[in-house]
Formats: sequence, C-alpha cells, structure tokens
Amino acid sequence: MILHAESLNVCMGDVPVLRNVDLSLAAGQVLGLVGESGAGKSMIGRVIARMLPAAFAVTGGSLTFDGANLLAMPAERHRALLGRDIAFIPQEPLTALNPVLTIGHQFNEHLKRLGIPHRREAALTALGSVHLRDPAGLLSRYPHQLSGGMCQRVLIAMAFAAKPRLVIADEPTTALDVTTEARIMDVMVELQRAHGTAVLFITHNLRLAARICDDIAVLYSGAVVERGVARDVLAHPAHPYTRCLQLADPPLTGPRRALYALPENMPGLREAMRTKGCRFAPRCLIAVEDCRRIDPPLGPRAACLRTEFTSGIATPIAEAAKPEIGTSAVLEVSGLAKRFATGGLFRRAAFVAVRDADFVVRDGEFVAVVGESGSGKSTLGRLLVGLETPTAGRIMLGGQDVTWPSEAARRHRVATVQMVFQDPQSALNPRRRVADIVTQAMEARGAGHAARRSRARELLAEIGLPEEAAERTPQQLSGGQKQRVNIARALCSLPRLLIADEIVSGLDVSVQAQLLILLARLRTEHRFALLLISHDLAVVRHLCDRVLVMRAGEIVEQGDVGDVFANPQHEYTRELLAAASA
Amino acid sequence: MLLILGRRALSAIPILFVVSLLLFVALRVLPVDPAAMSMPPSATLAEIDAMRSQMGLDRPLLEQYGIWLGQAAHGDFGQSLHLRRPVLRLVADTLPATIELAVAAMLVASVLGVGGGLLLFTLRGRRSELVVETGTTVLMSVPEFLWALLFIFVFGVLLHALPFTGRLDASLPRPDKTGFLLLDAILVGRADVLWSALAHLVLPAVALGLAFAPPIMRVLRSSLLDVYHDDYIRQARLRGLSEGRILWRHALKNAALPMLTLMGVQFGFLFGGSLLIEVIYSYPGLGNLMVDAVRNADLPIIQIVGLTYCVLVLAINTLVDALYVVLNPKLRGR
Amino acid sequence: MKAFRSGRVIVGAVIVVTVLLCALLAPHLAPHDPDDQNLLAQLLPPAWQAGGDAAYPLGTDGLGRCVLSRLLWGARVAMEVALIASLGAALIGSVLAYVAGYFGGWADWIIGRAVDVWMSFPPVVLSLILMTGLGTGERNVILAIVLVDWTRFCRVLRSEVLVVARRDYVAAARLVGFGHWRTVTREVVPATIPLLVTLLSLEMGIAVVVEAVLSFVGLGVRADQVAWGQMIADGREAIYQAPWTLFAPVLAIFVTVAGFNLLGDGLRRTLDVRMVEGRE
Repeated sequence: MILHAESLNVCMGDVPVLRNVDLSLAAGQVLGLVGESGAGKSMIGRVIARMLPAAFAVTGGSLTFDGANLLAMPAERHRALLGRDIAFIPQEPLTALNPVLTIGHQFNEHLKRLGIPHRREAALTALGSVHLRDPAGLLSRYPHQLSGGMCQRVLIAMAFAAKPRLVIADEPTTALDVTTEARIMDVMVELQRAHGTAVLFITHNLRLAARICDDIAVLYSGAVVERGVARDVLAHPAHPYTRCLQLADPPLTGPRRALYALPENMPGLREAMRTKGCRFAPRCLIAVEDCRRIDPPLGPRAACLRTEFTSGIATPIAEAAKPEIGTSAVLEVSGLAKRFATGGLFRRAAFVAVRDADFVVRDGEFVAVVGESGSGKSTLGRLLVGLETPTAGRIMLGGQDVTWPSEAARRHRVATVQMVFQDPQSALNPRRRVADIVTQAMEARGAGHAARRSRARELLAEIGLPEEAAERTPQQLSGGQKQRVNIARALCSLPRLLIADEIVSGLDVSVQAQLLILLARLRTEHRFALLLISHDLAVVRHLCDRVLVMRAGEIVEQGDVGDVFANPQHEYTRELLAAASA
Repeated sequence: MLLILGRRALSAIPILFVVSLLLFVALRVLPVDPAAMSMPPSATLAEIDAMRSQMGLDRPLLEQYGIWLGQAAHGDFGQSLHLRRPVLRLVADTLPATIELAVAAMLVASVLGVGGGLLLFTLRGRRSELVVETGTTVLMSVPEFLWALLFIFVFGVLLHALPFTGRLDASLPRPDKTGFLLLDAILVGRADVLWSALAHLVLPAVALGLAFAPPIMRVLRSSLLDVYHDDYIRQARLRGLSEGRILWRHALKNAALPMLTLMGVQFGFLFGGSLLIEVIYSYPGLGNLMVDAVRNADLPIIQIVGLTYCVLVLAINTLVDALYVVLNPKLRGR
Repeated sequence: MKAFRSGRVIVGAVIVVTVLLCALLAPHLAPHDPDDQNLLAQLLPPAWQAGGDAAYPLGTDGLGRCVLSRLLWGARVAMEVALIASLGAALIGSVLAYVAGYFGGWADWIIGRAVDVWMSFPPVVLSLILMTGLGTGERNVILAIVLVDWTRFCRVLRSEVLVVARRDYVAAARLVGFGHWRTVTREVVPATIPLLVTLLSLEMGIAVVVEAVLSFVGLGVRADQVAWGQMIADGREAIYQAPWTLFAPVLAIFVTVAGFNLLGDGLRRTLDVRMVEGRE
C-alpha cells in the first residue's frame, strides 16, 4: 500500500472532524474521495501535508506512506517527502503560482531541489508532457499571462516532474471551464498511467470520480459511509446518501427526471457530535428507529443498517407539467453589442464583450444562456438589467424601449425585471437583516414597517425558510439559504422577468437540487420568465425550455433545449456537450 | 527601467504645473505687500506704487502668473525681498544639505523598517507579539521633532557625545564642490571633514528616520501575513521548500509591493519632517530657508522653496512608482 | 460594543478622556494663571526635586510661569484643534471620497488629480504656506489642518468605497429602485463607518502634532494663548538649566498622541478595518 489510513481521527478542539477513517491506496491506483463541503474530504490531504489549521489535531489512528508513519516521522524527513514522493495539485491554479516569478524560475527552483540535472531540458520535457504549446516561450512568462487551464497544466507538470509515487489532487478542476476541465482530467490520467502513480482524487463530483477512479470512498459528516470499486458505487449505490447524491444531480442524457433534494443541510460539526446513531438518519428516507440509536460501522461496502433498501429510493421520470408559455415577448433584444475600452490613453483598444445579440424571451418562459467564462454571458445579463449601457442595439422590455438610461427606463425596469446575483456573499448586505433584505423593493417605494413585515413572512414561507430567519443577518445563514434570500428579494414585487447569473454554481449538489426544485415551484405559482446564465449544461437541461449558446460574445446557436442537446448544430455546442458528458 | 522612469516623470509634469499655479495664486492673495517690503521704510507711497507696477503687481493674477512662468522658463525665479539675492542661488545653496539629510533618513527608516517588520513577522502568533505591536503603536506616537529634542538632550546635553548644530565643526574648512558635504569630503580627501560631517548628520538623520520607520515595519509585517495566506506559499510548502527559502525567495518579493507603495507616500512626507529637523538642529537646508522666509513674508523664496519641495516629493514618488513597476510583472508591458 | 473589549481601545480611550477632562477643567485644576509671571520664582524645578516649591508642582519656566498650569491650558488648545480640525477634514475628505468612489468616471478623475496635487506637498510645508497666508490664530490653525489633511481621508476612504460600491448588494439596491442618495447612505456609508472612525481617531493625533509644530515655529495660535508647541520652543532655550520645562510639554504631546493612536489602532483591529497605514 502506498497510502494507508486506519481509524484516523482528527478533532477541532473536542469536536471530531474525521471519525475512524480507513483508506488504502495501492501503487498505480486512483482513489476518489467524494463528499460535499464540510464532509472533511480536504482534511485528509491536509493531514498528509501536515498543514492542519490551528486548533485541529490528529487524535488517533495511523497514517502510513509506503509503510512509513506519516504522523510520527521527524519534520525534516516529512518535508523531504513533499514534492519528491508526494506531490500536490491545487484547487485554484491561478493563485498557486508565485505571481512575481516566471514559470521558468519556479520550475527551475523545484527541479534544483529534486537534484535533477539538465534542468532546462527536463522542464521543457515536463511542459511538453502536459501538451502545452511552446514550452520554451512559457518558461519566460509570468503566471498572470497564462489562463487557468495553462497554469493547472504547469502545476501538473511540476507535480509529475519528480515522478512521485503519490499525487494528491484536491478539486483540481472546480475553478475551470467544462471544456478545460475535460482536457485537464485527460492530461492527469495520461500522466498517471504513464508513470504508474497512485492518485488520491478529492472531489464533490460523483460522476467525475466514477469516470477516472478505480475505487471510491464517499464521506459524510467526517466518516466514510461507502466505499467500493468505482463502477459498482455509481451503478448500485449501497448507502442512501450516495443514492441521494446521484438523484440530486440532474442527468445530461436520457429522460428528464425530477430531482431528489435531501432535506435540510449536512449537520455542522458540533451538531453532528450531538446526533446519536447514524448521522445521516435525520435526513434519510429509509431510516428506521434502530438507525437513530445505532451508529452503524463501515461494512464491506457501506456504513448502513438498511443497505438492501437503498436501491428502492427513486424519483419519478415524468417531471411536473410545465406551465404554459405565453405568446407575448417580455424581452426582445436586437443587435445588442457592448464594447469595453481597454488600455491607456495612447494605445486604445476595445474588447467586445457582446456582439449582435438577437433573441426573445416570452412570458413565463425559462431561457438559458450557456457559455464558458469570458463568453460575455454575464455582461449580457448586466446589460439587460441596466447595470451596463450597451454600445449598440435595442432592448425592449415588456414592449417598452429601455436601451438607453433614463429615469423612465429605470422605473420601468424596476417594475419589470429583477436580477439574482451569482455570489450570495456579495449580494446580501451583511449589515441588514433578512426581513429588510427581502423587502428592499418596498423600502424603495416607501412602504410601511407592518406591510414589509407581513410581506417578509410570506416570502420566507415561499422560499422555505423558517419565520425566525427574518431577524437573522446573512452571516448566520448557510450558502443555500443565502441564495434563497437572494431569490426572495428579486421576487418581492413579482417581476415578469428574472435574470439569474450562475445562481447554483459553487453550491453542493444537494443544495443545488433544493434550489432547482424551488425555482420550478415558484414558476408554477407566479408565472415569471427566467433568463438563467449558467455554465452547467445539466442544470440548464433540467430547468429551461430554450437555450442560447454564447462564445466570445456571440450567440452561436439558440433553440429548444431538447433539440439543441439532442442535435447540436454549431461545432462549439457539440464541443461543450462532449466535454460535459465525458 | 529608464523608460518607465521617463514615462512616470512625464506624467508628473502637469501636476507640477498645477501646483505652481496654485502656489502663485495662494501667495498673491496674501495680505502682505511685497512692493512695500522691498523698499526702504522711508519710501513714499508714490514710490511704492511705482515699485508695484514695476513688479507687475497691479496686473491681473493670471497675467502675473504668465510673466512669472515666462521668467521661470529662463531660470529667473526672482530676487529674495529680504536677503536681496536671486532665490535660485539660495535654493541651490541649501538643497544639497536637505537631500543629504533626507536620503540618510530614508536609509535609516528603510533599514529599521524592514528589519523591524521581519522581526515582527517572525514573532507572529507568540505572546510577545502583542507587546511588540503595541510598542510600534507607541513608537508611532513620537513625531520626528520630539525625537530630535530628546536626542539633543540625551546625546548632546547629557552625554556630550554628538554635536547637534549645523553640518560641520566651525573650525573645519568647508569644501565647496557639489554641496553634498559627505561627497565633497571624500572628493577633497579630508577624513576629518568626513568624520565631522557624519557626526553632525547622525542625530538629525536618526531622529527623522526613526519617526518614519514604524509604519514601514507594520506594513511589511501585515503584508507578509497576507502573503502567507496565499495559495502559492502553501503550494511552495507542498513542494517541500524550506521555510527560509519560502520567506526570502517567495514571500518577501510579494510583500515588498505594498510596502513600496507606502514608502512612496512616507518619503514624500519625510521632506516635511526634514524641515522641522533642520530648524531644531540649525541645519542649513531648505527648511531653515523656508521658515526664515515665512517669518519675513519673503514671498519669492516661499514660492520657489514650496515648488522645490514638490519637485522632491514628485521625484521620490516617481522613483518608487518605477521600482514598483519593475518588481510587479503584472504592470510591466507584455 | 465589542470594541471595548480590546485592551488598546480601553487604554487609548482612558488617556483621551483624561486629557479631554484636563482641557475642560483647566480653569479649575490649574493652580495659577498660566500667564502669571513670578519673577522671583524663575526656573524652579518640580516640587519633588531639591529647591522645588509645592505651589509649583511641575516647576516654573524662564519667566516664572507655572508649568503645570500652562500644560493644562495648553491641553485646551490641543484638544479643540484636534477635535474640530479632524472632524472638518473627515467631512470634506469623506464626502469627496464617496462621490469619487461611488460615481467613478470623471468625478473620480478630478478628485483623484486634486489629491495628487495636494499629496505632492509635504503636509508640514503646505500648512506653513497656508499659515503664512491665513495669519496666526487658533481658527486658522484648524482651517490649515482641514485644508491639508482632507486628503488622508479621501485617499484611504475612496479605495474602500470603490470596493464596497462594486459589491453586488449595492447593484441589487439600485435594481429594486433605490435612488443614488438612498443607495449611498443605506448601503455604502454604513460599510465604511468603521474605517472612518478609525481614521478619525488617528487624525486627531496628527492634528495635535501639527498644532504643536506650527506653534513651535511661531505660526500657530496667537502669542497670548498657551500652546504646547510654544512651551517646547520656550523650553528649548532653557534646555541646560531647566530641562523639565521642555520635557513637560513633550511628554504631554506624546501621551495624547499615543492615546489617539492606541484608540485608533485598537478600533482598527476590533472593527477589522483594512487600510493603508501611514502617518506624517
């Protein structure tokens, strides 16, 4: 065994973070560590690197690397392993390279420490092996001159340059676009096979893990709840949590089915400590009385008393009937363009964010805008709500021209269109209470306190937050709850059109499912149209009726979601679909 | 580097222009009459009026400025009303002393600031950190002129260890070559002059430098702390690099950037501090010239000395900006 | 108030309040009239030293004036200048910072260039020039400090406003129909109050120093008012015979400034304010 953990325990003070984790990874194998945020999956990498946050400590169990005790060896010996025998591929490639040193400098420093001769040639070979073009030119460049995907390739090349025996990759592609993600995964797998390296692959994405891993371990609330051969785990999940994760993830192919949303959230560490019995029991569909008393040990496959009932959990294939789409257009866009001036006074240049956009959104229709980062899809959204002024074209909102900023256009917009922002952290004023935030639109109109309170109660009920949440501040809410508040604010005065920018990206699948179900329900209740800006094709396919595909500021294809996904016309759409379903 | 420097210097010119205009206007609306001051007390009103029109003081402000600017372009900045000498000469005589003092003080501030910042950083997370940090806050509460007075008392009056007036012992001949005393002493090869000049420079330079070191310490410390949260430091550790190498090769270069920004502002302010130090140590520099001129309402001097201070500040800012660009690849042309 | 759990805030606040009380109660606390010259008791040492007189706790200066009384009356000028001047500078600087940071564009450009011009003067030099124009007097000292130091607020606050104004909740407020005034006052200003309070506290320390500097070179308050800077200038003449006449005002300035700095620094830490550090 290259890496072996036996009943590993990590605590934060007296609160357990990892509980009795057993893992084993053989040479040349790939082990996937799957879990949602807060499950403790990154903690294992930190234990191996000896970089636990302050107040965290290993409180029991063993962890060995190739037979050597990783927990007890002297610091110098441990450090000698890092980079040489154990290499790490980071989550955020853009910030993982020193911004003031060239790629060549950093590569050279690494190779010099490894004692590799002919360092320039070695660096060129390594950069070539991750399929980077012009490696020689790359050596003299700085990280900010590279894209995220290129940085990640450089980091992968560095990690494998030492021919390590173990590589730990912690969410190496979450910060990247779908097409880049697919290519980066290919490069990593290629190198892993070529060198026979063991890889610990940490991810939240069950499907991705199943694709590249030999074995999978699923973590929930600090403990392994299921483990097994990747194919088996994906085909026949044994633990109800794994099954629910699968059902919460909208499929990209096959029939559209309803999603299953786990109730509530994964318990926090302290909360979990107080739970008796199985920690998943409070959210489990098939839990019985025994589950609340006995904490089941990890069996050959799963830590569950009722494994045999897991396969019975399912969601209906036929989705809820979609409300009828109106015939009148709530939004008509023609020839819309936005150029940003860049550069200084002398070397003026223009960056075209959106060019010649033409499309219509009808009343009650859910339309998606998909594309990779930099495709201009977010700028499009900001143009529509008036946060940016277009360079050319026309925007008709509910039959009124709102292209150019004016007081009348603004008033019309306030009444017709609202926006749900991407990052709930930045979209909610931390100094205001939830009740104030969701009824902010009424504050602008000068509504009274009592009216606002009662509307806040209604809105909270609609978005599924408890009444007492009204008095909380955003910091006291979880990520999913924040995003609900964000939606509630936009819905407060019932606009005809909602523009939502990446509102489920960065959320865990189970939380994402809750939000998607919520949006579908609100749609039937209030009949608003939605323009969903997203990079996630599966989400788009699940929620929307029509789709616009954007690349480099241009809408290259638009049409019915079913048609476009089944029979993409543009080459770029095909590329996106291939990358997403890989 | 030279190109960047040149470009930055060009962008400072409009600022200098506006500053000169503002200075001119501000000093012309004063309730003092330069014409009356430039005449002997026995002059009649008619004589003063004649002088006024001769000096162009009866014309519109903007026209006066235009005349002044035209003369300035020919290197004529006027005569001192009180000392009756060309002001440009006066500035040229005193400027080297001020620059010498300011540069010495900047060296002191940089050495203390960077050293102290590294020390503060290595103490992070320890108990003594709070003590040392509160210490820097208290240090920051001692402005340069208090240090100056304290040093005079301790090293001059109590210990008789160091001289505290002027630039040189009165008994020594002053080598007049460049005006930079340390340089001149070396040029004429007089060790005793060099030694005396250094002894005279120590107290003012340390007093001035000490007052400007604590902010540098704190910024270096806090930006090092910030940098250590960054991913590339963690990634460098994961590559197995030693802590020493991470600090010197990876962290310090990044942490130097915010520190440089601060130094640009600080060293601009430092010239203001040098004015007080010069007054306290009777150091024959720009500051004493300025204060005397202010006391005598000697407008032409105030005007040009004010302008000279601006040039010094802008020069320092330009230099620091250029250095910042050199150290920060993101700002360098691709 | 969580701020008052910080040791620095408490120490700073205690010092500031003490000095403030000394200033307010100077007429009652001072044992003598600060301008009373007792030519029979020139350069008396402090009461605890040999030759000291209990009637003059901190001794007398070259004209036989009570050092303690002068110190207390000097605190009045120092605190008046500190409070009014820093509030004035904060008002001008922050209004311009909000305008520049929130609206951006040409307003930001103009205000930014104005700050550049101001910052190309060392503050001491600029205030000297202003004092030449304005003439001596407490009101003019305050005016000079306001006119010089508004840039400190404007510069630091502007970059903070820039960050806050780009947050999505500010855009969201506009989208639900908030006007500019309401957006700035309800969404932007509250987020910058901690920084403003911190800067204000630090600026008060700076104002104390500037007032002392101006009085020291004889361009501060009028000659018939007692100021610490003037006491230093007097004390410097007697540095060999009566060092206490120099030390008393030096110590007073140091303690007062340290009080404001500790308060500001503690606030910065407890309110978690990020700012560019810097002082004169």
